[in-house]
Amino acid sequence: MAKSDPLAIDVKNLSYSYEKTLVLEDVSFTIKKGEFVGIFGPNGGGKTTLLRLLMGFNKPVKGKIHLFDKSPIALRPRIGYVPQINRLDKHFPITVLELVLMGCLSSSNLFGRLCSSSLDKALQALEKVGLLDKKNQPFGTLSGGQAQRVLIARAIVNSPELLFLDEPTASVDPAAEEMILDILQQLKGNMTILMVTHDLQTIVRKVEKLLCVHRHVHSLLPNEVCEHFGLGLYHSPILTLKTKSSH
Amino acid sequence: MQTILASSSFFEALSTNPFLLLALGAGFAASIASGIMGSFIVVKRIVFISGSIAHSVLGGMGFFLWLRRTCNLEFITPLQGAIVAALLSALLIGWVRAKHKEREDTIIAALWSTGMAIGVIFVALTPGYNVELMNFLFGNILWVSYSDIITLLILDVIVTAMTVLYYKRFQAVCFDEDQAELQGVSVNQVYSLLLCMIALSIVLLIQVVGSILVIAILAIPAAVAGNFTHKLSRMMLLAVLFSMAFTFAGTYISYECNWPPGATISLTAALIYTVALLKKRSAYR
Repeated sequence: MAKSDPLAIDVKNLSYSYEKTLVLEDVSFTIKKGEFVGIFGPNGGGKTTLLRLLMGFNKPVKGKIHLFDKSPIALRPRIGYVPQINRLDKHFPITVLELVLMGCLSSSNLFGRLCSSSLDKALQALEKVGLLDKKNQPFGTLSGGQAQRVLIARAIVNSPELLFLDEPTASVDPAAEEMILDILQQLKGNMTILMVTHDLQTIVRKVEKLLCVHRHVHSLLPNEVCEHFGLGLYHSPILTLKTKSSH
Repeated sequence: MQTILASSSFFEALSTNPFLLLALGAGFAASIASGIMGSFIVVKRIVFISGSIAHSVLGGMGFFLWLRRTCNLEFITPLQGAIVAALLSALLIGWVRAKHKEREDTIIAALWSTGMAIGVIFVALTPGYNVELMNFLFGNILWVSYSDIITLLILDVIVTAMTVLYYKRFQAVCFDEDQAELQGVSVNQVYSLLLCMIALSIVLLIQVVGSILVIAILAIPAAVAGNFTHKLSRMMLLAVLFSMAFTFAGTYISYECNWPPGATISLTAALIYTVALLKKRSAYR
C-alpha cells in the first residue's frame, strides 16, 4: 500500500452511550485498506454498536470516525452490510434476486427504476456466492447458510470499499461456515472487511487483525490470540495481558 | 333499507336495485386500495399502528362535526376532520418512530384511546342526533353515493400510482431499514409517506365498513394472499382479488340473512382466513 493511501477506518477517542449506559469508551483504532479484520468480544460488549457507529446509524457522544477520510454518512453508498440474520423477517414475500437487487437501490433514478446494469451485477453477485440457480426462489425457503450467502451477495453487488458483517456464521453448520469464509477469503484485498464473530477459533486463521470489543477496543494480531487458545483462555485473559503490555 | 332490498333474490336485486349495485361498486373500489395498502401493513407488521390511526380518526371527525354544528361552518364536514386526524396521527407516529423508537408502542396506544376520547367528547357536545358517528364507527356500505365511489376511485389511482413510483423504496423500508438507509433512501420520510397513504386509505375505507372493522378488511385479504405467493407485487394483486371476493360474498350473505353488511364482509373475511390458516397448518404436518 502506498504511504499516501488514506486509512480505510480511522477511529479516534470514540465514546457512545445508550441513554446513561456507556457502551464504548474512548475507543481508538485504525484499519488499513484491504485488511480483513475480525471483531470479537462478550455479548453486550459493543460489537454491533461499533458497526452501527461506523455506518453512521448511531451518532458518537464523543470522538471522530473517518472512513477513507470521509464521514460515515458520506461514505454510505460504498459500504456493504450483512446484518444478523435474525433481524430479518424470513416470512417477507421476496425472492432471492429481488433481495440482491436491493443492494443497487442507490443507483436507481427518481422513480425508483434501477439502471440497466443492476440486473447483470446482481446475477454476478449471486454467481460469486454460488446461488445463481436459486435466484427465483423465495428468501424464506433458504437454509441458514444460503440465506447468509444471499445477504453477502446483496452487500457486494455494488462492489463496496468496506464490507461489514455482523455474525454471518452464527447458527450455520460447519460446511456452510466454511463456504461463507471462503467467499470472504476471495473478496479479501478487493475490499476492507470487518466481521463480527463469536467463533474466534475459525476466524483467527483467516484475518490479519482482531479487535476485541468490551467497552474498550483492543487491537490484536492473530498470533497474540492464538497463544491463549493453547491455555484454554478466552476474552478476559487476553484483555488483561493486553492492558499489562500497554502499561 | 335492508328489508326493502330483501324482498327479491340477491342476483335479481343486483340488476334492479341501484343501492346494491353502488354498494358492490364501493366495495370493489375499496378493495383496490385495501389490497395494496393492506399488503404493506401485513409485511411491515404494522396492523397495530393502522388500528391506532383508524380509531384516532374519530377525534377529528367529532371536532369537525362540533365546529360545523355549533359555529355554523357549513363548508366543514366530518370526512375532512377524519382526513386531517388520520394524516396528523400518521405523521406523529412517523416522527415518534424516528425520534423516540423505544416508546413507539406506548404512544401508538395513547393515540388510539386519545383520538377516540376526543371524538366521544365532541360528539357529546354536539347538538342533535349524530348519525355520522354511527356511520363512522360501523360504516354502511348501502349508504354510499355515486360521489363516494368517485372519491374511492381517485384514492385507488393515487395509491396505485404512488405504489408503482415508490415500490422498490417501500419494499426496502418494509424489509430492511438499515439496508435502505445505506442505499440512500430517506427511511423516515418514506415510512411517513407510507403511513400517510395508509391513513388516507383507512379514512375512505371507514365509509364502507366503519372504523371498528376497517382493520379486518385491510389486513385479512393481504394475510390470506401471503399464503399463496412469495412476491410482494403478486401478494398485492391477490389481496385485491381476495378483498373483492370477500366483499361480494359478504354482501351476498348480508343481503340473504338481512345482517349488517360491513360486519358480514369482515366476518366472511375472518372465516376464510381461519380456513386458510388451518389448511396451511395441516399442510405442514
